[in-house]
Amino acid sequence: SRVAMKCVIGGAHLRVFGRAIHAIARISDEFWFDPIEKGLALRSVNSSRSAYAYVFFSSMFFQHYCWTAVSQPRQKEKQLSLPCKLIIKSVLPVFRCVNVLERNVEKCSIYTNINDHHITFKLFCKHGVIKTYNLMFQECDPLQAVFAKHMCPNILKVHSRLLADTMIHFPTSQEEVTLSVSPMKVCFKSYTEDNTDFSRTMLTEIQLSPDEFDYFQVGVDSEVTFCLKELRVKPIAFSMEDRVLEASFILATLCEVGEETAALRPAWRQTFHSFFFGAVSCKERDAVSHTFHSLATASDTEEDFVSCCRNTR
Amino acid sequence: MWCELCQGNFFDEFQMEGVAAEHNEIYLELVPENLSRALKTAQSAKAVKIKLTNKHCPCLRVAVELPSLSSSSRIVTHDIPVGVIPRRLWNDFREPSVPDFDVSIYLPVLKTMKSVVERMKNLSNSIVIEANLNGEMNLKIETDLVSVTTHFKDLGNPPWTSEDGCQSSAQDRDLESMAEARIDIKKLQQLLAGQQVNPTKALCNIVSKRIVHFILLHEDVSLQYFIPALA
Repeated sequence: SRVAMKCVIGGAHLRVFGRAIHAIARISDEFWFDPIEKGLALRSVNSSRSAYAYVFFSSMFFQHYCWTAVSQPRQKEKQLSLPCKLIIKSVLPVFRCVNVLERNVEKCSIYTNINDHHITFKLFCKHGVIKTYNLMFQECDPLQAVFAKHMCPNILKVHSRLLADTMIHFPTSQEEVTLSVSPMKVCFKSYTEDNTDFSRTMLTEIQLSPDEFDYFQVGVDSEVTFCLKELRVKPIAFSMEDRVLEASFILATLCEVGEETAALRPAWRQTFHSFFFGAVSCKERDAVSHTFHSLATASDTEEDFVSCCRNTR
Repeated sequence: MWCELCQGNFFDEFQMEGVAAEHNEIYLELVPENLSRALKTAQSAKAVKIKLTNKHCPCLRVAVELPSLSSSSRIVTHDIPVGVIPRRLWNDFREPSVPDFDVSIYLPVLKTMKSVVERMKNLSNSIVIEANLNGEMNLKIETDLVSVTTHFKDLGNPPWTSEDGCQSSAQDRDLESMAEARIDIKKLQQLLAGQQVNPTKALCNIVSKRIVHFILLHEDVSLQYFIPALA
């Protein structure tokens, strides 16, 4: 671990950062804190490895961002990242009341202390009060989502509002939902299996027209099933002029095609059927609402996702 | 609970075909929560269609057309599984007849009654409803520690005529004499909590120590609740 990072988050962005932490907290109890040269990446994956969250804050998001890699004499190459794991429960209190945060905190500085495995969060509050949180981290292997390369014929781009309005029709106890797309129609429905007891199960189906999507491309009629709980996470809201923030939440889906039994292996390694939800900053404020565009799209790799966003803006 | 709605007041279109011409009725059994949830979807709907279908099993299909941002509407469909009740069991579900009551009286303002009963619920599991033909009603609870009575007066007694056109025999009763029944307070509280709109008419019939029969009349809907007395 030969990387040191120090950054400062200014007042207005604190809320966004706090919201990102809260959003990631819905996926798992721990997250990866990964400062790189270009900025700070936060990642998390749930215990069944069926949901993955990734939030990247570019260096421009911060009032101040400083990252240095120090190479050890024994190492041949500089290790360019310091992935470390933090427990969400330790970090959440720092950003507890996100709305209040903005009012009382002027800035927050975060720095890594590589020698004794600490990350320090310092909140500079009003009246000269400084709250310091020293959190232990665990070094670990980097975390990266693996996407199936062959799956990219379908791209749906939709405002998160539409998704929220759609999910509300399912009961809160509904665990899994099937999304079925064809060029003419999009349909979310309660997930059923062969052994579902229909005489006891209420089934809900919502049909949407492709017109409702900001971008709609369906090359292959597909059906994917995913866990609704993670979908109910609200994407991050922010309004910034520069592209300084991007986030994506990746949800695994059950494999419908072929004979592989998805139940035996973590679904997302084999499947990556075109599903992740993201909140991406826009270059200009949306004329209609000041909040955000949400993006549900397929991609081969994170790089492609990033370039896909740039192109479709 | 027995509730009757007149089709014409609710539906623009209503078509049904019962089992046979002389038995033009359909009896379905379902989980009320499912229907309630399906109808919640319909709060801002353009149109709602309810249909009895049989896909994997008999279902009430509630199809809701919702406004959307585009030219085509959003359609939400809920399939509610139902049990079709065979004709031989229909008698179990006939509208219960009005019991031979001892006292019939108009209820006090439901909102007041509700707040009284809610407070009493914290103190006791059962409540006594008593009323007389002089328009007086008392709600009583009694525990080891405390007894509370709320008195209502000048409520008025509805005039009932029996089938042969005469005044019912209940009229021979001493006006001051109370008919009473002890019932489960939770059931009463649930009944009152379910009323969101003030009914046009609300009354209750008491069969001493046997049953309390509530009748709530709205313009389009009539509701009857039968709460048996506790032993």
